[in-house]
Amino acid sequence: MSKQSEQKTVSEKMDELSALVAWFEGDEFELEQALETYGKAEKLAAEIEHDLTNLKNEITVLKEKFDA
Amino acid sequence: MASDQTPKFSVSDFIAVVNQSLEYSFGTVEIEGEVASFKVNQGKWVFFDIKDATGSVNCFMSLFQLRVPVEDGMKVVVRAVPKITAWGKFSLTIQSIRPSGEGSLKKSFELLKAKLDKEGLFSLERKRSLPEIPEHIAIISSTSAAGYADFIKILNDRWGGLKVDVAHVQVQGDSAPEQMIRAISYFNSQEILPEVLMIIRGGGSADDLAAFNDEPLVRAIAASRIPTLVGVGHEVDVSLADMVADVRAATPSNAAQIVVPDRGELIKMLGHLVRRVLVRTEGAVDDNLREVATKLRQGLTMFDTRVDLLQSQLVTSRQVMGAYNPRAVLSRGYAIVRGEVSKGGVIRIEQQERIITAEVKDVEAI
Repeated sequence: MSKQSEQKTVSEKMDELSALVAWFEGDEFELEQALETYGKAEKLAAEIEHDLTNLKNEITVLKEKFDA
Repeated sequence: MASDQTPKFSVSDFIAVVNQSLEYSFGTVEIEGEVASFKVNQGKWVFFDIKDATGSVNCFMSLFQLRVPVEDGMKVVVRAVPKITAWGKFSLTIQSIRPSGEGSLKKSFELLKAKLDKEGLFSLERKRSLPEIPEHIAIISSTSAAGYADFIKILNDRWGGLKVDVAHVQVQGDSAPEQMIRAISYFNSQEILPEVLMIIRGGGSADDLAAFNDEPLVRAIAASRIPTLVGVGHEVDVSLADMVADVRAATPSNAAQIVVPDRGELIKMLGHLVRRVLVRTEGAVDDNLREVATKLRQGLTMFDTRVDLLQSQLVTSRQVMGAYNPRAVLSRGYAIVRGEVSKGGVIRIEQQERIITAEVKDVEAI
């Protein structure tokens, strides 16, 4: 089962967007589907931009000691 | 003549007491000098003398403690415990040895570099690429170092959503290589491996950065299951750790630039991608409209041609019909004769403007 959009990583969303862009530039392009696919691409790009702007890195300094 | 207070020992006790006195007096010492008569026995034990212009002391250590190449004539600093052996020979039991001074550091660096290069540890075929957008990275650094702070700042500026595990270790001094090796081993033994293993340290003197030319550390980096990125020192500094890593960063800041993309650049690229598909869609719509217009024009042209042809055919038909029109024949002076064409018969002669009724007087063949 495919992941919900909010569960996907930025990397996965980027791959999905690249696939949509490739569809637009490939031989399978059909004008009838273009509007719907463009809507998807635009929504996905907005989600990625939102993620990129708001996500924070989760930095953990390990408790393990390496001096002995 | 010895007094009664003069201490008396067995040989073994005397050696033990002297060693105890040495331990109380000095414990561990650091001595700087030049290496002479360096040799390795049975592939396990290292013997050499450390000397200066007027003195020389025997040194002993196990081979596994020797972490950098040493040869006669090199200036070194040894960390050692002074002892008298069971045979009464004074010796330094070496705990660690490191090259001292620019010349020796360089010499040691070149010797180890040549050795590891011969083993193929620096070859390009061994280099692995890093993931374009990692989700989980491991950092080995001193969290109190300026280089680490620079790295984290730039990492946070450039990217988000990354899981970063940091192993805090010494990044200079005698214990630094072993701590970094333990951290490498720790990350490589995790059930879920990080995607990139980074070793970070800011700039420093050649002596400060000597830990990154430690042979066991360099071998541990080479053996890491996780692809490695080493960012140590300034741009001009080159360590063996840099050379053996899958990817070398010139500085800690550069390491952050390498490991993650810049979110600002990516957001710009997203806008560009969306514009690209929009242009493609608009282009396709325009193409379709042009095709429809062309087809309409073609249809209209064909319709016009057809109408012209029909009109032309109509004119021709009219001309033909006109030629066959009896009235046109009558207008040229001909007449139509109807009735019984035999002697005494009555006929009707139709001319353009009149009809004549007449009786046939005679009929002759021509």
